[in-house]
Amino acid sequence: MVGGFSILLWVGAVLCWIAFGIQYVSNPSASLDSVYLGTVLAVVVILTGIFAYYQEAKSTNIMASFCKMIPQQAVVIRDSEKKVIPAEQLVVGDIVEIKGGDQIPADIRLLSAQGCKVDNSSLTGESEPQSRSSEFTHENPLETKNITFYSTTCLEGTATGMVINTGDRTIIGRIASLASGVGNEKTPIAIEIEHFVHIVAGVAVSVGILFFIIAVCMKYHVLDAIIFLIAIIVANVPEGLLATVTVALSLTAKRMAKKNCLVKNLEAVETLGSTSIICSDKTGTLTQNRMTVAHLWFDNQIFVADTSEDNLNQGFDQSSGTWTSLSKIIALCNRAEFKPGQESVPIMKRVVVGDASETALLKFSEVILGDVMEIRKRNHKVVEIPFNSTNKFQLSIHQTEDPNDKRFLLVMKGAPERILEKCSTIMINGKEQPLDKSMAQAFHTAYMELGGLGERVLGFCHFYLPADEFPETYSFDSESMNFPTSNLCFVGLLSMIDPPRSTVPDAVTKCRSAGIKVIMVTGDHPITAKAIAKSVGIISANSETVEDIAKRCNIAVEQVNKRDAKAAVVTGMELKDMSPEQLDELLANYPEIVFARTSPQQKLIIVEGCQRQDAVVAVTGDGVNDSPALKKADIGVAMGITGSDAAKNAADMILLDDNFSSIVTGVEEGRLIFDNLKKTIAYTLTKNIAELCPFLIYIILGLPLPIGTITLLFIDLGTDIIPSIALAYEKAESDIMNRKPRHKKKDRLVNQQLAVYSYLHIGLMQALGAFLVYFTVYAQQGFRPTSLFHLRIAWDSDHLNDLEDNYGQEWTSYQRQYLEWTGYTAFFVGIMVQQIADLIIRKTRKNSIFKQGLFRNKVIWVGIASQIIVALLLSYGLGSITALNFTMLKAQYWFVAVPHAILIWVYDEMRKLFIRLYPGSWWDKNMYY
Amino acid sequence: MTKKEKKSFNQSLAEWKRFIYNPTSGEFLGRTAKSWGLILLFYLVFYGFLAALFTFTMWVMLQTLNDEVPKYRDQIPSPGLMVFPKPLSALEYTFSASDPSSYRGYIEDLRKFLKPYTLEEQKNLTVCPDGILSEQKGPVYVACQFPIFLLQACSGMSDPDFGYSQGSPCVLVKMNRIIGLKPEGTPRIECIPKDENVASISTYPNNGIIDLKYFPYYGKKLHVGYLQPLVAAQVIFSANSTKKEVTVECKIDGSPNLKNQDDRDKFLGRVAFKIIARA
Repeated sequence: MVGGFSILLWVGAVLCWIAFGIQYVSNPSASLDSVYLGTVLAVVVILTGIFAYYQEAKSTNIMASFCKMIPQQAVVIRDSEKKVIPAEQLVVGDIVEIKGGDQIPADIRLLSAQGCKVDNSSLTGESEPQSRSSEFTHENPLETKNITFYSTTCLEGTATGMVINTGDRTIIGRIASLASGVGNEKTPIAIEIEHFVHIVAGVAVSVGILFFIIAVCMKYHVLDAIIFLIAIIVANVPEGLLATVTVALSLTAKRMAKKNCLVKNLEAVETLGSTSIICSDKTGTLTQNRMTVAHLWFDNQIFVADTSEDNLNQGFDQSSGTWTSLSKIIALCNRAEFKPGQESVPIMKRVVVGDASETALLKFSEVILGDVMEIRKRNHKVVEIPFNSTNKFQLSIHQTEDPNDKRFLLVMKGAPERILEKCSTIMINGKEQPLDKSMAQAFHTAYMELGGLGERVLGFCHFYLPADEFPETYSFDSESMNFPTSNLCFVGLLSMIDPPRSTVPDAVTKCRSAGIKVIMVTGDHPITAKAIAKSVGIISANSETVEDIAKRCNIAVEQVNKRDAKAAVVTGMELKDMSPEQLDELLANYPEIVFARTSPQQKLIIVEGCQRQDAVVAVTGDGVNDSPALKKADIGVAMGITGSDAAKNAADMILLDDNFSSIVTGVEEGRLIFDNLKKTIAYTLTKNIAELCPFLIYIILGLPLPIGTITLLFIDLGTDIIPSIALAYEKAESDIMNRKPRHKKKDRLVNQQLAVYSYLHIGLMQALGAFLVYFTVYAQQGFRPTSLFHLRIAWDSDHLNDLEDNYGQEWTSYQRQYLEWTGYTAFFVGIMVQQIADLIIRKTRKNSIFKQGLFRNKVIWVGIASQIIVALLLSYGLGSITALNFTMLKAQYWFVAVPHAILIWVYDEMRKLFIRLYPGSWWDKNMYY
Repeated sequence: MTKKEKKSFNQSLAEWKRFIYNPTSGEFLGRTAKSWGLILLFYLVFYGFLAALFTFTMWVMLQTLNDEVPKYRDQIPSPGLMVFPKPLSALEYTFSASDPSSYRGYIEDLRKFLKPYTLEEQKNLTVCPDGILSEQKGPVYVACQFPIFLLQACSGMSDPDFGYSQGSPCVLVKMNRIIGLKPEGTPRIECIPKDENVASISTYPNNGIIDLKYFPYYGKKLHVGYLQPLVAAQVIFSANSTKKEVTVECKIDGSPNLKNQDDRDKFLGRVAFKIIARA
């Protein structure tokens, strides 16, 4: 309610009241017009203020969501006694116990751990459970194995540890304060609108003051001069525009919500459109955040599994006998189970009890083999050794489903090198063959290749226990392992990855063609990060990193010319040693960048680095670790399904379907709304000249006032509102996704061309058209144009009640007043009619209207209808209300300005034609806005 | 975060200087001479065209007008009343009978106003029959005589001071001219003082009659020499009243189509003025 136009209007309103006060003191019967006007202005300001407040009243409550994560209880050993206390009572030095399922109550250094695994995904973005032990393995607290973090979850095992940080001093607490400490920067559109407000307010104030001085010099009463000043301000300020912009933005926001982009901050709608760099988190944003089988290796051949979201068509060759065996091992050597009662749920969406890789294997075999539980039932499990980190394998022994085959089947999976050690044969095409050196070599090649793809590789082997040694009644013992675990038969490898979402590669390509750089920033390992980056196109197929080139050419990394590499993979450790200048250089020189192993602070540094390049930066992410960067970014995009509350709170936009490609939709909508806002503003600014000229002419040439201040407000807030909103529905003129993002500082919303063309071309034509209607009305009533000049003093005199017109008739003051109102109405209608033409020409900036389609945007016609209806209502419906200054206008006057309206259209078509014919020409440079 | 450093004054001055004239690119106010030339030429042509167009449309519009009668007369259906002489500001006549300079202006105004009404001036005008409208078909329209002696004491013939020197000032009341207006009934001007104890009013012609023969009016161009009928109101202060200040209200009466009661228009068929006679 303060700042920008509001201040101007407040000044106007106050001046109105002061003017009335002075008038009242000198003449108690003074007209109430200035009181009405002042009140209307104040109401306008207050209403737009309330409207804006209503739209913006959305607080981002980051800290609240961190509060929600506070674990309630902690088991603490104090005075050699186990106590359960509220977690906030923990102090540094307390010894706490953790078990599977607990939330970690503070940052804890482990003293002892048994099979402890924690889920750090919300902190670091690693989707796999991390095992924890008491060993110190790394200097970085986030990397070392002996620290567990506040608010993460212990998945399994137990541990005892000492509290080292509590509350805000924990890693996550620091992130939280980092996130809340990052200031809310102005959105690009807010900057643009401010810039526009400055321009318009500058014009308003300077023209107002200029004419105030002129009026005073022309010996006008100072009070009159003040009233002129108010009128000039009112004429110049587009009162309805800010509300229109808000509505246009919220319309786009609604449209985006339908496409699963929920916009929290209205202004962010446009920000995505001007985005030039997207820093995307990997896990959950680019990837599906679930392990999925990606590749298989058997029969000395790599097969690709379908990793798309539904992965129903596993199209690899399943005819080999090896596959039969391998599939059996996959199905049987697995402890994961579906939760019961999910028969109707698609396999990929079912909830599974078990860890990530077992889940992946279970779902994989369920898809290919059908009911896995049934298979397991038919192949009864007699003994099992679960996976542990010392063995690095998992083993089970089953009765076979073939009733004639009394042999037991031993199946085993685990770390490939360990599995291979235990094998002496390998199955090729269903036949066992001795595992010779060449086969081992083939195995290693495959293993390295799959590992190089950033995938987690598992080896599978089996062994049919001879029936004579192990009869049906044989009692297996998992402790003593009274069965062979060597000389087994190697069957195959299988690799898993958290695969990219299927829509992401396409979306990345679209971003590229839209001139947007996509940078991956992840907490995950560089190899995995690079693999995913390659598969989604963040690193394109033919570009190499410095390391790749070094490897290909067999030279040291230092010898490679850095300019040859298009892509770069930078880890957090490297980033730590970089100066801001080096980072800037990195960001500027490499079109394809992946940041791996980054900490939340580093994400922030990266975003800031991008912003230093004058880029508008979008950050996508879902974890708590992303929230500072989300907040710092020009637009933070959080994932709606997998996103943590902190991320959602810090973000400006939420992708409800977690689909990266929704960002592309967002970019498109953002660019469209920027274009359309340009059109809206151009449309709105145009009539300012037609509104301003009457006052200037009134002051200088002394014509009876062509249009009243209140009447102006009826244009700004009446006839023009719906049409200017209608422009927000305009379709894009050309493929807006094939151009570069706008430059934050160069491509302004309101540029010189727009202002000049609106004010000095179309605006002036409009003013002439409106004056034509005005002169027509006066002339046909008896006052010819020439007689009107310098008539002002006589015309406005209340005591002169026999003013003679050109035909010898005499007019009383009120009769003149009424004629003046008719003139207002005529001028108003003149502007309205030409604003229809203005609306139509603003549909496009470059293309012909006929190419864009006159009727494609139906809302425009609603707008035009609303203009006409409002004008008709004002003239014929409310014509009798004095304060509104409208009269019933003769039907033919509605058509006087039509030729001018047509001229405006023709002129603008010509402008567009020349722009299209001579791109880059003088005309194009000066006339394209 | 890059913080914007405040530009120093010298820097911004230099920037402004460069904007006004940039010696490297030869740009003056952001444009080169050639660019300025082009843009000026463009606007010259463009605005020339617009001016021509506006002139043309105005000319077309003026062609639709009739020189004799305005196209529409709907905004002045009923005439207003006005008084003469016209005081400087509000309708207040302040004078002192003993001080001729205080009313000299009024008298001169009245003389000037009544000049067309002198007998010599209107000897070319027609003597029209009383009491009926003088409707004419043209092409020549005649104007009816308004013999000035109808105004009797206020005619200026017997009393060149129009009563001001006696302290009984004359004020002329006239009805606004409206083309084609045909009053119905017997219109007359009735003037009454607000306070009858202070003053009484005499109207001339008797009863303030406005004769129908002066209607309708055919417009300045056709109806050459037209004289609008006048009614004089002479304010006669009561001899016993010490207060010499009175508000007089005059209105048209006796004609159903001449309105005299409009809430908004205080001069439609009526007029109020104030006479202040100082000692």
